[in-house]
Parts: sequence; C-alpha cells; structure tokens
Amino acid sequence: MHISEGILSPAVLIGGAALTAAGVAVGMKNLDQKEIPTMGILSAAFFVSTLIHVPAGPVSVHLILNGLVGLILGWKAFPAILVGLALQALLFQFGGMTTLGVNTLNMALPAVVCHYIFGNALKPGTGRTVIISSAFGAGFCSVLMSGIMVGFSLYLTGEAFLPAAKLMVAAHLPVMFIEGILTAACVLFLRKVRPEILEGDHVS
Amino acid sequence: MFRENSHDSIAFGLNYNIFYFIFIMLWLLFLPDSASAHKVTIFAWVDGDTVFTQSKFSGGKRVKNAPVLVYDSKDVLLLDGKTDKKGMFSFKIPQKTSLKIVLKASMAHMAVWKIPVEALGGTEPENAAKTDGPQNALKPPSGSMDIETHEQVSGSSTVALGKREIEEIIDASLDKKLAPITEILADSIHRGPGITEIMGGIGYILGLVGVALYFANRKRKS
Repeated sequence: MHISEGILSPAVLIGGAALTAAGVAVGMKNLDQKEIPTMGILSAAFFVSTLIHVPAGPVSVHLILNGLVGLILGWKAFPAILVGLALQALLFQFGGMTTLGVNTLNMALPAVVCHYIFGNALKPGTGRTVIISSAFGAGFCSVLMSGIMVGFSLYLTGEAFLPAAKLMVAAHLPVMFIEGILTAACVLFLRKVRPEILEGDHVS
Repeated sequence: MFRENSHDSIAFGLNYNIFYFIFIMLWLLFLPDSASAHKVTIFAWVDGDTVFTQSKFSGGKRVKNAPVLVYDSKDVLLLDGKTDKKGMFSFKIPQKTSLKIVLKASMAHMAVWKIPVEALGGTEPENAAKTDGPQNALKPPSGSMDIETHEQVSGSSTVALGKREIEEIIDASLDKKLAPITEILADSIHRGPGITEIMGGIGYILGLVGVALYFANRKRKS
C-alpha cells in the first residue's frame, strides 16, 4: 500500500499532501483530551501492523488496520495514520517523506468513510451480529477502498487505472478478509473490556 | 467529570489491555518471517564487465519478473530487462558512465541503485591497456628493418601484455574473493526493520501522546 518515492507526479504528491493537511486539520479540531491516549494506541497499532505480513501467492502483503483506526477515531484517523506513516517512512523506509501526503490520504480517507458507514454499530445497545458484521465490513472495505485509491493515484500519474487497481485489490484480497476478522475481534474485545473507547467518538 | 472515578478504577485494566495488545502484535510479528511488500530494494555490483543486480522485498522475498531499467547519468534509458526467479538481473556494462538502475516492482513499489563511474573504473585501465596493445603491435612493422629495435618493441609489448594479464588476474581473483562479501552486503541491505526500529517507533508515539496530553492539560488549567 505504501507508494514509493519517485513514482507519482509532483501534482499528485502536492494534491495528496493538501488533502491530507485538510483531513488532519478536521481531525485535530475540537480534540478532546480523553481521546489522545486512544489515538496514540491506535497509531502505535497501525505503525506495528504493517510489519505483519500475509503471504498471498506471488506477492506478500501486510496488514494495514486502517479500518479499525477509522471505525474508532473517525476524522481523527488522519492525524493518527499520519504519525504512523511518518514513523514507518523514517524508521522502516516504507513509502517515503514525499509520498507521505498521498499515502496518508489513501489510507485515512477510506478509514473515515468506513466510520460513517459502519460507525453507528458501535453505539451502545446494538446486537452482537450487527457489531460483528459492521466491524468486518469496516476492515474489509477500508482495505478495498485504499487499494482502489492507490490505483487511482497511479492513474493520475499516467498509468492505466484498471490494471493497477485490479492488481492492488487482487493482491490485498486475503488481507481484506483477515483485516475484517481482526477488526471484528478487536471491536468485540474492546466492547467487553473498555466500551468507553468505542463510544467516545460519538459522544464528542 | 462524574465518571472520573470509574476511569481511575479501570485504569489498570486499560494498561493491561494495551500491553496485551502490543504483545499480541509483537508475537504475530515474529511468528512469520516478517516479509512484506511495502518496500523493495535493489542492490547492484560490478563483476568484471557485467553488472549484477539483486532485488528483494523487505524481509527477503525475491522480486520475480519485475522490470529493471538502466539509465545513464543523463537519465537516458540504456537498456531494460526483467528479474528472474531469484530476483537477479545482470547485464554487460553498456558504457562507462555512472549508471542508475531502477527496479519497478508491482503495486507502486520502486527502488533505485546508483553505480558511480569509479565502480566501473575497474575495467577502464584494462581497456586502456587494450587500446595500448594494438598501438604497440602496430609499431613493429614501422621498425621492422632494425632487428634490435624490433626485439625491443616486441619485448615492451610483452611487458604491456604482462601488465594487462596481471591486472586481469588480480581483477579475477579480487572478484572471486569479494563475491562472498558482496553477497553479505546484499543481504544486509535487504534486511527488514529490527526490534530497535519497532520499539523506537512505539516509544515515539507514546512520547507524542505525552506531549499532546501535556499541552491539553495546560490548556485546560489556564
């Protein structure tokens, strides 16, 4: 999912950075003090999850966990993912500093979209089946959308859209299922031991 | 505010959960040989008149069937090819300029390796000797009348030949001796992130949380 440096055109890089800056601004607005630790934990989880690889035929892909981040944080996923990606670029050399904006956008925007689609299920009082299916949907769809967005970024730079997007989505198909299951497990776990984390965002 | 107490009482529970989560993450992390497709590297070295390249994903998985493009110092495409099943691709040195070797792996991954002129320079003196050779060889006909000079010239040409041969022998044996070192170098370049980087990153994030909380707290107090 991390787009390397030197692939995208400057216009795409600048556009991605601008949109990411806007997303971060929205995320940081009205930031409640209580949410900072949650953001930190999810940012750390996102940071580490990238090292867990999923063997998928010819290529090997890794977990992204942006669905979980988005589901819980909403717009605050932007700063959380930005921090995680910046550290991945600095410490692991995944992606790069110039592509940080585009990469953040590609991973955080699907997270926010998933928050609006599936976030309602996190409200207290929803049934177990609804929660599981919504969390699975968030994990699955966020990776799917990220793959499409990476394909779109390549398309804007001049590559053919369909092959690039198809390859990204096909390679990440196992990851989508694993992320879905993992997101559902995390949400169930959090609901049991610490429901405040899940409800926090809907209160503020 | 009225929930502050309940927060405190489960604070320990929360800490447990964080550590539990991080441990699961780390356990998952070291369970497989953590190879992943978010970074590719290409490593190239010169051996004689051939440039060898090795391409890997971070974690050590070889990059198969990926296009490799070779540019000169002015970004003019010299040649291209594809990596084989072992992620290797080799080509004869097309010209003596600094080379830029670009690997284009699938899914928006790219890596660059540059070879400076000096690295290719190892073959340059050899070429110079080669161009000297014919010149020396051309000399004898002009002085073929004089047997003495002819002998001298042929003597000097054998010396030149000897020099070239010595150079070739040294080059060959150096390449042979350096081969394992180049391999080790290639492997070390392809190594994925270690525990230092992972722990450093997590620590960094926790530090950021601390800083953010500090400022948020100060704002609330004032």
